[in-house]
Amino acid sequence: MSEPQAEQSFFEDEALDRAFGVVMALATEVYVLRDRTHALEKLLTDKGIIDAGALDVEPDAAALAERGADREAFVAHLMQNLLGIQMSRGAG
Amino acid sequence: MDDRSFVAGQAFILAAKNYWTREIYPALEAGFRQRTADSGTSVEKPGQVEDLIGDTTLYRYYAWLERHLQRFKYSGRYGLQPYHDERRDELHQRLPADLPPGLLELNPDLETPGSFTAVDIHQHPGGVWSDPIAGFVYERGARSTTPLAGQTHRDLHQRLADHIAEGGTPECILDLGCGFGKSTRPFRETFRDAEIHGVDISAPCLEVAAMDAAETQARNLQYRQMNAAATDYPDARFDLVTSTMLVHEMPPAEIEAVLDETYRVLAPGGRMVYLDFLPADDAFHRFIHYGHARRNNEPYMEPLAGLDLPAILRGRGFVDIDIRPFEEADGTLDSAYPNWRFPWVVITAAKAV
Repeated sequence: MSEPQAEQSFFEDEALDRAFGVVMALATEVYVLRDRTHALEKLLTDKGIIDAGALDVEPDAAALAERGADREAFVAHLMQNLLGIQMSRGAG
Repeated sequence: MDDRSFVAGQAFILAAKNYWTREIYPALEAGFRQRTADSGTSVEKPGQVEDLIGDTTLYRYYAWLERHLQRFKYSGRYGLQPYHDERRDELHQRLPADLPPGLLELNPDLETPGSFTAVDIHQHPGGVWSDPIAGFVYERGARSTTPLAGQTHRDLHQRLADHIAEGGTPECILDLGCGFGKSTRPFRETFRDAEIHGVDISAPCLEVAAMDAAETQARNLQYRQMNAAATDYPDARFDLVTSTMLVHEMPPAEIEAVLDETYRVLAPGGRMVYLDFLPADDAFHRFIHYGHARRNNEPYMEPLAGLDLPAILRGRGFVDIDIRPFEEADGTLDSAYPNWRFPWVVITAAKAV
């Protein structure tokens, strides 16, 4: 390309055009990862290295609880952004 | 990028496009029809459609997705261009070194029209004419151009060949803007004794066409690099001149030049059959089609729709002019067909005997 041109805009706020691009890029990556994980599990199962059935089983209460802190941190990382509060002391 | 990730990325993009085709477009049209009914006004112009739904959230996402899913398909991380670019050397190896004589004739001195090079048509970065691997990129991308079609190219192009066969068996065919041979292949298979010539301005595409022809041991077939508006064929050489999705890539002046050339190379009694896109005479479909053109880097779709083609054809001496909707797949011309589709039409005319 000789000179970059501004992308077309479909929303009143161009920020939304760009943010949605990030969302769709992330969605594509999630799907590619998901596809690969599935392929990995199948390959390992076919070779007898893992038991796919064991992977699919509902975790017991202990296992769920063990992952609880990690899960909370994941959600907080995501949703803290919605509070719109400064995390360090700013000038204003 | 590994092959698995490429295929998964493209499959996701296609699935998203299918959702857009089957769910978002129908919801958009239904919403528009409802608004029209509620408002009680008669909507005759695309501008009025814009006024009614242009600032709705659904329309904005419809438009965003139309443009950006195509961008992802061609230029994204899992896009056609980067995938083929990484495999450039391997693709170069695939191009045939020894072609049967006469199958492929390139012209490195051929000037590519400015109208074609100014814009990356349908968001293919660099276009189909410059990069040696462009034919491979285009061919791969064309497998999902009509989102709901199967993986092979055969269906709609075969339907065109069948349509042509209904009017007689051509003996000498010129396929204008044949690209990588997608449209030419069904002609070879349907009219097995015909002499077939395919012309295009893109050397990268013609090389892919020749590769396919060589692999399938085609006879009576020539692919040549030339401009459809200025071929070197003698007068009255062909009894059938066709094009598929060609004329919407040209400004009106070039279309008229191609029609002049078509007329010249046709034998008396011969036919021209062009398959292309013309929106229905309905404000909503025009709005959708012109929006598609803007969003998909197709600057000549709208000018084509504004031409009085019957008058232009008559002016050149064509007779038996017929322009009608084309059914590219079962059921697509039913009035109740809900999904997005290209507004396919077949334009037919004859050179007087």
